[in-house]
Amino acid sequence: MDENTRTQVGGPRDPREGLEAVVALRRMLEALEAAQVENAFMAGWSWAQIAEVLGLSKQAVHKKHARRIRDRYPGEPPRRRKGT
Amino acid sequence: MMFIRFTDKSRKSVEAAFEEARMLGHDSVDDDDLLLGILRADEGIAAEALSSLGVTLAGAREESEEMFSDALTSIRISLEEVRREAGDAFEMRIPPGRRLPLSPRAKKALVGARKEMRRLGDNYLGTEHVLLGILGNEDGMGVRILAGMGVSTETLEDRLCQLRGRAAG
Repeated sequence: MDENTRTQVGGPRDPREGLEAVVALRRMLEALEAAQVENAFMAGWSWAQIAEVLGLSKQAVHKKHARRIRDRYPGEPPRRRKGT
Repeated sequence: MMFIRFTDKSRKSVEAAFEEARMLGHDSVDDDDLLLGILRADEGIAAEALSSLGVTLAGAREESEEMFSDALTSIRISLEEVRREAGDAFEMRIPPGRRLPLSPRAKKALVGARKEMRRLGDNYLGTEHVLLGILGNEDGMGVRILAGMGVSTETLEDRLCQLRGRAAG
């Protein structure tokens, strides 16, 4: 496929390829959100602070991520560096 | 309900598909996960046919990962860079709290498996029927992983046929 056959936004032209990119992006987004929430939590951020930046309620963020982070650090609560 | 007439081996393969999907970060179990499940459970005629054609679990996972990464590249996103930027906390695995549904394509493959069972006059639903069901999705992810590994639908169907003949004789 040559460059000219691409749309102006630079997306792929084949609809299947385009749709599959969306699926891949969604998967990646989930993993990226999980990673960045964990990074923020370990850096000492509160659920409220994390939720505010994500534009979500504290409850929603806690429900989605707290258990996973707890499971990743079994036994003791994660050692968190207190943020400023 | 879903597992009516399934053998132990084919049931284990489908259960393994859920584990594979979760590990790879798939938010539903698609027909490529059914294929990976057969390889992961590694029991029955389907696994034997695949392995005899050089299809390994590691190889199929790698092919799947490559298709994922290529899809992102098509919109100019580098999975490697995102991974590097996010650090150790970045992992595709879906946490245990979340239930994974079967995708429409995976359901179609399992319905296809049941049709194959009837077509072949069998009274059990084995791994070979599941694999034939996956192959019935011509544009499916399972078929594309196999194609990426140089295994055509025809070759695999022939091999399954041979192995069944041997088991019957």
